[in-house]
Amino acid sequence: MKLLLKIGKALLLGVFLILALGPLYWVIVTSLKGSQEIYAFPIRYLPESLNLENYEYLFNISNFGMYFRNSILISLIAATGALFISMFSGYALSRFREQKLKMTLLLAMYFTQIIPTYMLMSPLFTSFAKIGMTDSLLGLTMVYIAMMIAFSTIMAKSFFDRIPVALEEAAMTDGCTRTQTLFKVVIPLTLPGLAAIFSFAFVNIWNELFLAVMLLSSDHNMTVPVALNSFISKAGVSWGVLSAGIVVALLPTMIVFAFAQKYIIMGLTEGAVKG
Amino acid sequence: MAIMVPAFVFLTLFVYFPIVKGVVISFQNYTLYDMTNIHWIGLDNFRAIMTDINFGFLQIIINTVIWILVSLLFQFLLGFILALLMKEPFRGRGIYSALVFYPWALSGFAIGLIWAWMFNGQFGIINDVLLRLGLISNNVGFLSDPRYAMVSVIVANIWYGVPFFAIMLLAALQSVPAELMEAAKIDGAGPVRRLFSITIPYIKPTIVSTTLLRTMWIMNFPDIIYAMTGGGPSNSTNILATQMINKILQFYDYGQGAAFGVVIMLILFAYAIIYLRISATKEDATI
Repeated sequence: MKLLLKIGKALLLGVFLILALGPLYWVIVTSLKGSQEIYAFPIRYLPESLNLENYEYLFNISNFGMYFRNSILISLIAATGALFISMFSGYALSRFREQKLKMTLLLAMYFTQIIPTYMLMSPLFTSFAKIGMTDSLLGLTMVYIAMMIAFSTIMAKSFFDRIPVALEEAAMTDGCTRTQTLFKVVIPLTLPGLAAIFSFAFVNIWNELFLAVMLLSSDHNMTVPVALNSFISKAGVSWGVLSAGIVVALLPTMIVFAFAQKYIIMGLTEGAVKG
Repeated sequence: MAIMVPAFVFLTLFVYFPIVKGVVISFQNYTLYDMTNIHWIGLDNFRAIMTDINFGFLQIIINTVIWILVSLLFQFLLGFILALLMKEPFRGRGIYSALVFYPWALSGFAIGLIWAWMFNGQFGIINDVLLRLGLISNNVGFLSDPRYAMVSVIVANIWYGVPFFAIMLLAALQSVPAELMEAAKIDGAGPVRRLFSITIPYIKPTIVSTTLLRTMWIMNFPDIIYAMTGGGPSNSTNILATQMINKILQFYDYGQGAAFGVVIMLILFAYAIIYLRISATKEDATI
């Protein structure tokens, strides 16, 4: 009976694993097939040979390398910016004494969490158009920083909450200034939490589509999701090339997830709001 | 205090102000085709979206509800089963969790594209598998047939959401005290009895809060539908969020798009109040 249960459990775990990995496997296989093989019958579950023509098209004919660089730059800068700003605001919120003001500011943060980003598409576009900031990577980066600030602040606050104030007081009686205390005592203790915030922001910004589609227009400014979106409408881009693009688009988030999974999950389960 | 300034400057410029502006636009004739003629039109945008013949408003509301409820139900059930399976340690659990949880970090849009390719009516692998198993005798146009399109986008969404529930519920399951389980075991409670009499009541707060938060999140998650069907065929997978995006990106009608935005925000606020009520009573009960 016990053995049977164990086997059943292992089987179920196997089914979940296959279902989770199946789509990923399929998009990778598709990206490695030649254009004829993709549309051939019967469907081949293993590629005939490793055919890199889709990747060649992606990087040589379409400018995917540039889109990739844009995305990496924007995500790194915006995630760093959001982390830096929310480190301070999270710390302030955590150490605030006036409860009323603290609650109001926290609520103002939570409020932005229930507003979906696509809600901001046209207002941002029309405002940016007026001041000539559309089609600017810098403009989009600022928007992304703003987009991640509330969540990062709430998360940072919850990490700082767990650090005893007594520790800081001790450092300060030993002659540290407030800033020194923050950088030499508090932040080193919350490093895993800050890593979680950064990875979370990076992944979210890397994946963002709608604001980027709205605000970017010229080819040399496109981010990876915008490029994929333009592939769908572009005639002549095959599912093979699209699949290669998807694989390249997924890589960074999977790498970040592999390294930071533990921290991200920790941050997520510790009172996070957005999934 | 001063160190909160940068955060709120960013939020004011790029979140609060645009939200207010969005509400303002919803009462204006504001389309890209008619940029020189922006003027107040009262509730005309709201009237227009609710009486739209091509994109029936009632249909969109029903679609939104189905999209939320069915996705949520299966995401929760499968996520809970996965969490239960992973609760006891086994060899390789760390790697296993990385491999089954990874979809959670991927872009919804990319996932939509992958599933669109798998559901492809001619060359899709799902058609091929179903044909080989003898479950269908001809290819099915999953995304081109209004009867199957909603099921297809929901399947993709379930796949995407299972890891989230599994992660949250697994964390909750691991907080159930082992002594409690042991005591029940000694008292002769079987695994099923333990599940329903101890585990589920113990993690109920997590179940309630994750489910409620996820409801809102799924409602505001247009990425998969946008990638797979764009809301079609013939409005069959259109939800409030995708229709708002279509109004902006396809029809360039920011006024009507903003009207959808206001409808969504009203629903969100009503929902947030209900959520706070429920979590407030929950806390009262535990005190």
